Amino acid sequence: MPTVSSQDVLALAPVAILALGGIALLLSEVFLTSGKRGYQAFLTVLFAATAGLTAFGATPGKVFAGQATADAFSAFVTITVSFGLALAALVSASWLDARGAERGEFYALSLFAASGMSLLGMASDLLVAFVAIEIMSLSTYALAAWMRRGKKPAEAAFKYFILGAFSSALLLYGTSLVFGATGSTLLSDVARGPLQAGGSALLSAGLVLVAAGLAFKVAAVPFHVWTPDVYEGAPTPVTAFMAAGVKTAAFAILARTVLAAYAATGGAADSAFPRVLAVLALLTMLVGNLFAVPQRSVKRMLAYSSIAHAGYLLLGVLAAGLPAVRERALSGVLFYLASYTASAIGAFAVVGALESNGQPGDEPADAWDLERLAGLSRRRPLLAFAMTVFMLSLAGVPPTAGFVAKLLVFQAAVGAQYLALAVVGVLTSALGAYYYLRVVVYMYMRPAAEGEPAGVTSPVLSVALAVAVAAVVVLGIGSEPVASLARAAAAVVR
Amino acid sequence: MTISANWYLLLAAVLFCFGLVGVVSRRNILVVFMCVELMLNAANLTFLTFARQQGTMNGHAIAFFVIAVAAAEAAVGLAIVIAVFRTRGTLWMDEVSTLKN
Amino acid sequence: MTPLESYFPLAVVFALALVLGLALVGLAALLGPRRPSRVKEAPFECGSDPVGDARGRFGVKFYVIALLFVVFDIEAVFIYPWAVQVRELGWNGFATMAVFAATLVAGLAYVWKKGALDWE
Repeated sequence: MPTVSSQDVLALAPVAILALGGIALLLSEVFLTSGKRGYQAFLTVLFAATAGLTAFGATPGKVFAGQATADAFSAFVTITVSFGLALAALVSASWLDARGAERGEFYALSLFAASGMSLLGMASDLLVAFVAIEIMSLSTYALAAWMRRGKKPAEAAFKYFILGAFSSALLLYGTSLVFGATGSTLLSDVARGPLQAGGSALLSAGLVLVAAGLAFKVAAVPFHVWTPDVYEGAPTPVTAFMAAGVKTAAFAILARTVLAAYAATGGAADSAFPRVLAVLALLTMLVGNLFAVPQRSVKRMLAYSSIAHAGYLLLGVLAAGLPAVRERALSGVLFYLASYTASAIGAFAVVGALESNGQPGDEPADAWDLERLAGLSRRRPLLAFAMTVFMLSLAGVPPTAGFVAKLLVFQAAVGAQYLALAVVGVLTSALGAYYYLRVVVYMYMRPAAEGEPAGVTSPVLSVALAVAVAAVVVLGIGSEPVASLARAAAAVVR
Repeated sequence: MTISANWYLLLAAVLFCFGLVGVVSRRNILVVFMCVELMLNAANLTFLTFARQQGTMNGHAIAFFVIAVAAAEAAVGLAIVIAVFRTRGTLWMDEVSTLKN
Repeated sequence: MTPLESYFPLAVVFALALVLGLALVGLAALLGPRRPSRVKEAPFECGSDPVGDARGRFGVKFYVIALLFVVFDIEAVFIYPWAVQVRELGWNGFATMAVFAATLVAGLAYVWKKGALDWE
């Protein structure tokens, strides 16, 4: 008789803390009617910090007969997600407060989403992964619709929902085929291959559908069409959280699944799986970067850039297929996710601070135009400096986190003999530098337009930006502590 | 005479394809939504068929989880559909497209 | 008798019903007189005069109640198997289910206090 042991509960503590925090904030919203809501963001940060610390100190082990695994890998994912949640909560507090839209439900949904992400980092069973993905996705659909009176958020949420639900259905049907072929949904059983000799076609079909479902979640080309619209239409702090958190969690499960799929289809060398993944990575790097170039809207540019970063990350996951470089590649991917979390949330926070706050949800098309950043260095020198740091990091310029992350991933790709893809990665990064640095040029070299508003300022936003800048710089200059954590995390994944 | 498991799998595959084609081709938001639910139920049927075939209870338990998740998804989805309808006054996909390049 | 054969009587009933129904409708169409008039062709609405379009809109309140019903109702799929096996699952199962139910209660408290259950 399977029972819930105290070990299971302890291992799941980070997830439970985030979920309980969500429930607590939900109830605080209706039972504490003080009108002041400043405490909610701080509670969220507190819960996120507790969850992160718990994950850091957790003892590794299997949970629920191997359906989930608490290990260094899941701990790294949980810490990254919690860090992203805390940053996003502070950014949201200032953004929502300026629009009079701050409610406990917002933070509750963020916490629920983070608990799903954290669970996704632990999942070593396709069904648990499905449930975790749904916890994460349902919360983020609702968050995207937060400013539901506006046309854009409603439309963004709707597009996100339809394509998200569609991808979940692909994932689930794929899981059912895998279940049929291997008699189990455990990734460790899936890695052993089909039960009967004839089951390999069924297994491959299932794995392809699972991978397609996950490719939607990480916004890999050609499953990326929803990304620009959803990222543009959703409230900016929500976009920040989605870009960082969903990407981190989805890549965590993608890595675990791909490794199981490699094993199940007879090693990396002679199966079609790596080839398909290589094509996805190539397309994602190219399309993401090429489409980002002509964008005038900074928010939309960042959306395409998030697709491009998914391409680099896919390259890392692809390289992880080779056992010899697995540890290096996976640690590169994890470090990249941590670096992207800090840079992307910071960049979106600046965008959010500058957008008009008259009619939330119905911003004009040029609400995020490059022109709004013109002369920012004179109006808001510190904000312009922060944005510069984030842009340099996203572009991969030393001495920022983004540089180290790209270096680790490309080195792993070269080590795994994906030379052509690594070259494409470097070239597209150079292209990326063009549109990231264009933002910097606008801030420092263009005169400000007449009557351009200064944007929102608030202490919490300053704290969030300062932390993000510090994280980007520290990860760039003294990357060793986090990189060694990432290596330890990568070492435990088989 | 018992019906072979393959027929159930085939039925599930056909249902899944109906859902897939529906999501891609239909233009009414609610119909698209129902097609997604059809895909989830196709997966459920497949789980149950394999579970019967292999004589384990796992597949049956999975079906419960899928049903619960589908219900939550329906609730969130319908709430979003209502929000879209309130801001646009329409449920046709083509008319809900302000966000474009 | 295999399972499918035991359904044979049911199939006979279905066939009979189909034949009888088709025969009666067919005979009526064949033999009965046809004198259409405006009143006869009006849509039938329980004897009263038809009012408005059949595709009237429902108040959004109905949707809210329906959504809440769906979410809370479906949770029975987890409670039912536990209830069937409650003795075998013992206190550990009870504790697990208590946590599950407590989550539902928290949700109910939120919904209630939020006023989503008030009709007016």
